Amino acid sequence: MPEAVQPHVGSSKPFVFPAKPFAPEDEAALREALKRCSPSTFEAAVQFRKTGNPEHLPAVVIGVIERFVEPDLRVKLKDADDDLRLIEDLGIDSLTMMEIVILVEDVLQMSINNDELRNLRTVGDVKTFIDCKVRGLELPKPTKFLPIEQIAAIMPIQPPFLFLNEASVSSSGANGKYKITGQEFFLQGHFKDNPVMPASIMLEALGQLAVLFLLEGASTEPGKVISPTTIFFTGCEGVRAHRMCRPGDILTLSIKPKRMKMPLATFEGSIRVGQEKAAIAEEITLTFGFAEAPSQPVPAKDSAAVVNGSNGAHSPTPLRAAVSSP
Amino acid sequence: MPRVFITGLGFITSIGNDAARVTSSLRELRHGFMLYPPFQDPSIPVKVAAPVRDFVMDSTDCEDWTIPPPYTIKREILRGMSPNVVYAWCAMLQAVADARLADADISNVSTGLYAASGGSPYFMGQLMHRMHTMGVMRCSPLGIVASIAGTVQFNLVAHFKIKGSSCGFASACASSSHALGYAFDDIALGRQKRMFVVGAEDGNVDAILPFAGMRALSLQTDPGLASRPFDVARDGFVGTGGGVVLVLESEAEVARRGVTPYCEVLGWGQASDGHNVAISHPEGHGLRAAMEHALRATHLAPEAVDYVNAHATSTPIGDASEARALKAVFGAAGARPAISSTKSLTGHGLSLAGAMESSFCALAIRDGFTPGSAHISRLDPECAGLNIIRTSLPTGPTIVMNNASGFGGANVALVFKQAR
Repeated sequence: MPEAVQPHVGSSKPFVFPAKPFAPEDEAALREALKRCSPSTFEAAVQFRKTGNPEHLPAVVIGVIERFVEPDLRVKLKDADDDLRLIEDLGIDSLTMMEIVILVEDVLQMSINNDELRNLRTVGDVKTFIDCKVRGLELPKPTKFLPIEQIAAIMPIQPPFLFLNEASVSSSGANGKYKITGQEFFLQGHFKDNPVMPASIMLEALGQLAVLFLLEGASTEPGKVISPTTIFFTGCEGVRAHRMCRPGDILTLSIKPKRMKMPLATFEGSIRVGQEKAAIAEEITLTFGFAEAPSQPVPAKDSAAVVNGSNGAHSPTPLRAAVSSP
Repeated sequence: MPRVFITGLGFITSIGNDAARVTSSLRELRHGFMLYPPFQDPSIPVKVAAPVRDFVMDSTDCEDWTIPPPYTIKREILRGMSPNVVYAWCAMLQAVADARLADADISNVSTGLYAASGGSPYFMGQLMHRMHTMGVMRCSPLGIVASIAGTVQFNLVAHFKIKGSSCGFASACASSSHALGYAFDDIALGRQKRMFVVGAEDGNVDAILPFAGMRALSLQTDPGLASRPFDVARDGFVGTGGGVVLVLESEAEVARRGVTPYCEVLGWGQASDGHNVAISHPEGHGLRAAMEHALRATHLAPEAVDYVNAHATSTPIGDASEARALKAVFGAAGARPAISSTKSLTGHGLSLAGAMESSFCALAIRDGFTPGSAHISRLDPECAGLNIIRTSLPTGPTIVMNNASGFGGANVALVFKQAR
């Protein structure tokens, strides 16, 4: 990923790879620790412990999460994208998160402190987190979840032309959902007695998600803030529609930044309905500019908001100890 | 003052894992003792115990456990439990069904839960071992909740969504009798309409064996002879575990729900020896005072009591002390209630004992039988004059007293009466 779209907050001590070689007794202990995980989890953990190669980490982390998820929910993890949410989708509560952490620490021989975990909300967050820990990289900005009220408050685009119901934004991209209600004004004429979501509007929805990413997820030079009034569409390439989308369909939108250099930002985007591919855009390019007066850096405010949210108001975080008294 | 009734019972015990099995064991004097496999190590002087059957929980990893049908407990609930809580949980489900309680009857501010268990020495031991060998951050986040005394009510109150009074009682072997007594008070004083009373113990190696250090356990190798309260050759108690739950309800709730109670809880009394940290007063002063307080509180003369379920655990000193107290209370008044210790069948359930034996009394009153005191071949001369019944009687008592004594010389006497 290009350095320009790789913002970092937080800190992390580099993983110190143990000088001691991986011994048979280590393997026995590892087997015992992972006895309720899949054989592939154990294999990946052995490989990681022997080689230190971070490529094995996702299999270990997903395997450990899977072991703590109720059996009837495990199927979700099978073809999980990185946006699968730990609390809402997998039913993992704060205590289960601690169990996961204890096992991951044990298996990967690392230590993780509670503060670092507060912002891990998705499977992708966890994978990225562990990867950064092992490589000794700075920890990425946490994924932010934005309900429609917050999206509308941020975006220069407003109803009835806003095609996002909810979104999550991280440093590596953004995801959103939009349900086609059938009440959209243009469906009256597109087509006659046959409402179909126009492909141009689907592309527009992807563009709107990219706008949201620029305003909420993109890192900029210190002290510079992208102004909502400066963002416009400039072009797109490789757009293909695969599936007609009709009222009742829920569009799952996803964009990832490919290049970002003032004043242009290029993204790739895709739309799914359930597991079906609906549309892709190889490139969507937006132009943007900075706000004239330099304002306060955004990250401080953002992280404060996330921490406040974790106090129970509306955005549960995975690692709030449920202990009510000492 | 509102009258208080027992309307539901649940049993996980060494003599049966449901009321029907427990009743037949009591009627037929079928004991729950065995040569307990973990005690067969030559370095362990004690051989007999009365374990709960069908449950296998000899690991601190709850996913290794076997819990017999019909019970299933999800991992996310089970991870905060130790064996005694699992027993209590299963007994709670039985009691709820037995009392025909709907969810709304269980979860409201007028329904509470009092519990007693010694916690889980086994779990606590393993937790401390892990902390010292692997570091505190490698310990289960629920290790404390699962192992300390109080674990029964933490778990049951949370998962059954109890909203009324809740707390635990710690007077060792009198604990669940205290719980029952104070639950009665809460209803009688109008604070609560319904109370669950729970007694539970792990009854495994770590819960039982330390009593060998204080020379309190029987060293008998014959399961049929190890627990023989009031016998002249008794040599200590036999340990047991399990879980028992009673549902207590006010007269108004019994009428509103249209249920038939087992019996009425008439009242209770307690008193302390003020004598020794572990040994009961040789003359049974505290227990005598507790029984007298109970009689006074229930406005009964000693001759009104027709059955006493004694605390007698089969220890030489304890049984003699209770016999003296019984003679002082009943013999002096010319009363000859039937007396037995059902610990001759179950073994001694420690914190579980009071709730378990009070439940036996409730079964006896409702089903019309009087459980006998098993395994007596030569009655201790100290018991001369007491009507200690060696077989179960086919007739039921009308008024019953249940005794319990705990460390520190705590004594409780509870009184039950046939419901009319």
